[in-house]
Amino acid sequence: MFYAQLFVNGLFQGLVIGLAALSITLVFGIARFPNAATGDSMTLGAYAALAAHKASGSFIVAGLGAAGATGLVLLLAYWSVFRKLANRSVVALLVASIGIAFVLRAALGVAFGHGQQVFQVPLARPYLFGGLRILPLDLQMALVALVTLIAVFGLLYLTAIGRQMRAVADNRDLARVSGIRPGRVMIALWLLAGAVAGIAGMMLGMKTIVTPEFGWEMLLPAFTAAILGGIGSPVGAVVAGLILGAMQEVSTPFVGFTYKIAIAFVIMLAVLLVRPRGLFGRVEGVR
Amino acid sequence: MTTNRRQFIGTLGAASALIAAPSVLRAQSQGVFRIGALCPVTGAGAPYGSGMQKMIIAAAEIVNAAGGAAGRKIEVVSEDTQTSPQAGVLAAKKLIDVNKVQAILGTWSSGVSLAVLPLTNDANIILMNTSGAPALSVPPANAKGLSYRFQATNDRFGRAFAEICVKEGFKRPATMAFNNASGIGNTEGFRKAWEAKGNKVVESVVYEPNQASYRSELQKVLAANPDVIVTGSYLSDTTIIMREWFQSGQPVKWIIPGWAANPDLVKATGPEVVEGVISVDSISNETAPSFKAYADVYQKVTGQSGQSNIFSAMTWDMVHALALAIEAAGSTETAAINAKIREVSNPEGTKVYSYAEGKEALKKGKINFEGASSVLDFDQYGDVSPSFGVFFIEGGKLNRRYVVNI
Amino acid sequence: MEAYLVAIGIIALIYVLLSLGLTLQYGLTGLINFGHVGFFAIGAYASALLVLNGAPFIVGFAAAALLAGVAAWPIGLVSLRLRDDYFAIVTLGFSEVVRIVLTSERWLTNGVQGIPGIPRLYPSLGGATGQIATFATILAVTVFAAWMIRRIARSPFGRIIEAIRDNEEAVQALGKDPPRFKIQVLVVGAALAGIAGAFYAHYITYIVPEQYIPLVTFYVWMAIIMGGVGRVSGAVIGSVILMVFLEGSRFIRDVVPGISEVDMASVRIGLVGLLLILFIIYRPQGLMGDYTKR
Repeated sequence: MFYAQLFVNGLFQGLVIGLAALSITLVFGIARFPNAATGDSMTLGAYAALAAHKASGSFIVAGLGAAGATGLVLLLAYWSVFRKLANRSVVALLVASIGIAFVLRAALGVAFGHGQQVFQVPLARPYLFGGLRILPLDLQMALVALVTLIAVFGLLYLTAIGRQMRAVADNRDLARVSGIRPGRVMIALWLLAGAVAGIAGMMLGMKTIVTPEFGWEMLLPAFTAAILGGIGSPVGAVVAGLILGAMQEVSTPFVGFTYKIAIAFVIMLAVLLVRPRGLFGRVEGVR
Repeated sequence: MTTNRRQFIGTLGAASALIAAPSVLRAQSQGVFRIGALCPVTGAGAPYGSGMQKMIIAAAEIVNAAGGAAGRKIEVVSEDTQTSPQAGVLAAKKLIDVNKVQAILGTWSSGVSLAVLPLTNDANIILMNTSGAPALSVPPANAKGLSYRFQATNDRFGRAFAEICVKEGFKRPATMAFNNASGIGNTEGFRKAWEAKGNKVVESVVYEPNQASYRSELQKVLAANPDVIVTGSYLSDTTIIMREWFQSGQPVKWIIPGWAANPDLVKATGPEVVEGVISVDSISNETAPSFKAYADVYQKVTGQSGQSNIFSAMTWDMVHALALAIEAAGSTETAAINAKIREVSNPEGTKVYSYAEGKEALKKGKINFEGASSVLDFDQYGDVSPSFGVFFIEGGKLNRRYVVNI
Repeated sequence: MEAYLVAIGIIALIYVLLSLGLTLQYGLTGLINFGHVGFFAIGAYASALLVLNGAPFIVGFAAAALLAGVAAWPIGLVSLRLRDDYFAIVTLGFSEVVRIVLTSERWLTNGVQGIPGIPRLYPSLGGATGQIATFATILAVTVFAAWMIRRIARSPFGRIIEAIRDNEEAVQALGKDPPRFKIQVLVVGAALAGIAGAFYAHYITYIVPEQYIPLVTFYVWMAIIMGGVGRVSGAVIGSVILMVFLEGSRFIRDVVPGISEVDMASVRIGLVGLLLILFIIYRPQGLMGDYTKR
């Protein structure tokens, strides 16, 4: 029962990792670089959600605010920075994304201060399911994540722009030849990746507290989940996030609370060595 | 971010002081005793650093208004440690080599103090700090006995926790510590003191900063069925832990250091969650006239209550103790001053609460300066033993029930 | 004043050593090492612990270089078969794991309490003389490292690694084994970082895991990107600019009173980000470089 409880704790944490990984994998699949600004975009989402929640008192508005603000800011980053580097190496894009991460963090620090902020969520005792404690807040979080996932997958698989995005992800040259305009796909991509990161940031903020640094810490686990799931595979990212969250928690009785952070790295190395395309990834890839 | 006019003028003043500084460098001039105010103005210590620095400057003005020490005016050169050892070392080098300061006051984090101490030892000058790490008391760090600590060590916090456990009748304590020097220092100090009383700690967990959740850590601690959990924690992690613990529904008491269990924590979790939590903090010497003098100046300079920044009361005391020692020594030689610091601060002698009063009384005989931050009695290691206030959080308010002396 | 400048000079030279390692790895070979601080940390701890336990300095420094190099070897073995961006993430993760291990293994590293009282170089010389001697030693080592890297760049080995950077497949087609060369480069660069770490530990005299955060890696990246990627002069100029930037911010506060003190840390990191972006977009060759192949 002890392990089952740890496992459940881990799954709920994995949801946040999974959403962050989803944002990374979308960008990686379509814009073809690892977006190191994802963590700090989550921070932005959390602050936007805080502001929206304070103004309206509604968590739905907060979620929309987080998604909207983060999407717009990442779109702005695309227009002003990533677009100009489209023909340059992956390194240039990667370094630029780190630059954007730092600028975001600095701006949030100056704007909101370094003190912690919290969502005023009502605290409630857990439900008991045969000895397992499940928090109502976690269930609500899971619902938010589910709605977000349905929206993202609906967009990717049921709309024209979603088909175009997937086409570009599969084969950029082929997509271009068949008349897909990359500009529109990119706008949709950054809005979507930003919105997902923003929601993930809001969820993390509601579970914990919000500070200007808190998103960056999620970057390594999120990258790991994206790699484990298979770069460019949205389903994979989410599933891998859940697996990673659960593994980190269940492993703690054996490795201790300090080393559980290192688990992400070990898993990442193992995946890259044994099955570089990840759980759901395509064969092309990592070499 | 708003900068009010007073802050603005204060900054201008600091800036002009800095620009003016080179003019006094021309000579290792007679008539001045130069000190470095090396505080954590930026970085993690930022909430306290600028207040600490301002109180060094304000206290120096008071000393100078009373005619200086041993006939010298105190002159302050300010620097920022950025709360980082590397930046602290460079700033200390600048203070020692460029500004030729004869003492450095106000280092805050243990890492910075440990890195700066070898430099002040080399230069044969005094360092006064507000850090908690036990390593600062003994060689190699304090090899020359030139370092004075105005803050309770983490070890002493732990001992206070153990006293409280006895007093409250707890039998099965567990500990949770944030994985840094201060966090572990608290809980290890507690464990040592508690086990010395022939008791046992039922479970100890050390956790990492910046986690999304501490539920698994809590689960482990709570599984041992403790009656109280003693923490070495900070505000942000304590907020998460308290919320998650409350949701777990398992009854247990908490003893938490005051820098984590404070009004901000109550605001973050709501009063219901932290009801009954015991918050322990080293308390300033609030009833003493020296505290009132400090608090008035602090209010005037920063617009905030003197109680909001205990470290600035410490830096206030630093200047007082140092200046009184200089006056008593009648010399600006480090060895002579160092020999007098305990003499002017520790018992036996007329109790004095201000610089002017002390200077007067010194003419008649021995004095015992009672500080704003504590009664300021240094032990053989140059450490003070402040009193600890024990606060219970009741209905969202921190009510002080009693005081523990170690 | 001189002593303060020497102090700044010593820290600047430590950054030059770090930048030289990265110049070799990224500038010449194209390896995106985002874990430089990990090797820096290994060097610092190795030398500090050995010298504290009575070993002579030379043994400490040799161990720093050796251990950092040895640590780089498996990382290289594992990840050099990966694409650039994966390598970047793996090395970033590696440096975080180094920090976690240093934090956790208290029996060896004293954990979060850090190691105080690390002996300084030339303990027998006095403060000022000892400091100048330290400066001279680091300068000599740095000049030697710079000379070595220039030699490497112009040797047949250098032509091969540059060819790997520009077209790895072609090198492979010529029957060379790119991963082998990459590992050698990675090990040498890491050893340089290890030596820089040993100098750092013996100069600052106090080390603690929280000093070894990824931000240090990105400082070094900022230095080589600003100075000019792939050029020894770029590493030097970039480090000097970095130092002016880090120390100069001490004075910004006094000149621009509008910035509150609490915000300086934010402003500093924001400027790092902005400079990275601007240089990558508008001057990818850096100030010194003519390196535009990428």
